[in-house]
Amino acid sequence: MSEFVVALGWFGLFAPVALGAIGSAWGCALGGSAAIGAMLDSEGGYGRYIGVSLMPSSQVIYGIVIMFSLQQTSVDAANGAALFGIGVLSGATMLFTGIRQGEVLASAIHASKAKPEIFGISLAPAAVLEGFSVFALVFALVLAGSIPT
Amino acid sequence: MSMSRRHQYITLVSSLPHLGKLFSRKEVPISEFRLRQRLTMLEADHARLLKEMIEVTAWAGVARYRNDLDIIHRARDVVADLVDYPDLQHLVGARMETRTLIAALRRRRDGQEVAGDISSWGYGRWCARIAENWSDPAFGVGHFMPWVGEAHRLMRAGDHIAVERLALTEVFRQLDHYGNLHEFDFEAVAIYALRWIIVERWSRYDEQNARERLQSLLDAALRGARGSGSQEHDLLSNDNETA
Repeated sequence: MSEFVVALGWFGLFAPVALGAIGSAWGCALGGSAAIGAMLDSEGGYGRYIGVSLMPSSQVIYGIVIMFSLQQTSVDAANGAALFGIGVLSGATMLFTGIRQGEVLASAIHASKAKPEIFGISLAPAAVLEGFSVFALVFALVLAGSIPT
Repeated sequence: MSMSRRHQYITLVSSLPHLGKLFSRKEVPISEFRLRQRLTMLEADHARLLKEMIEVTAWAGVARYRNDLDIIHRARDVVADLVDYPDLQHLVGARMETRTLIAALRRRRDGQEVAGDISSWGYGRWCARIAENWSDPAFGVGHFMPWVGEAHRLMRAGDHIAVERLALTEVFRQLDHYGNLHEFDFEAVAIYALRWIIVERWSRYDEQNARERLQSLLDAALRGARGSGSQEHDLLSNDNETA
């Protein structure tokens, strides 16, 4: 049984990085696809399309920070379950917010091409999603402090 | 939809310039050549379905058919082919129904006294209602499609441009309705292409109309100079109601 909990612990330890990387990759690919399309249809301002399409990169960075905060001198039966719970759930949050952020960014890029004046405000939904991943990051750090050592 | 296809369609849709409102601009924001080039990003199956849809909805496609019945059969085939895309099925159906109502108005204006065998020239849900309410200005559908009564009035008045505008507005409304449900998928691309065709056609139509009007005014002026005052020219030919 305790071996199983240790395995779960390692699983949870790396989950924020792995799931965060998948979320960021997915989100950047969605946003990037829209940015590339928008570049075909515009004469300038390429940088800002690519710039916003990279916004989902932050999820993997948060994942790395969570992983370091969860890191213990040893993963054992006492802390395995906590590492698993915090790691997997915060990782799932990074995955989901990364993908969804990519989707709203694609919409924002597409919409602001027709109406350039909404470029700034159309990023608001993506910023709110960023806020949700920051919540997950901050409270993962808080809980990481109370894991039994 | 596979992941790579989804990304490809996001790129495709974002690369298409905004078409804007109908009648609000004089020319299309993307040329036919460029649009065709962009549409090469479509999957082979989707390209075929789009071609079929254009064949039965756009005027240039329909003009190839010998009679109404051929078009109706073709439209049924296309709707059957679009089985995976119910919104596009509804769209093709609605377009054919709009065309049926315009055809009925035209037949009645031309003196036809009963609907006759409507299944040989009509398509869709309103056929029976049109036949039953042949004497009603709006064929008994006016309370939920007020544009039919308006088209009747305009057609009687001989204002063909206004009838065309009205029918295109109705078709554009249908496209907007279904377009709002799709953003980055095949449906969105297909709806874009259908809207583009209408905008493009209207831009050419206006120009052609202006040229004809100028010619007829010139003719009238020349005739006036020769002392013959009568103006025989119909400013517009009668075959314009094609939407």
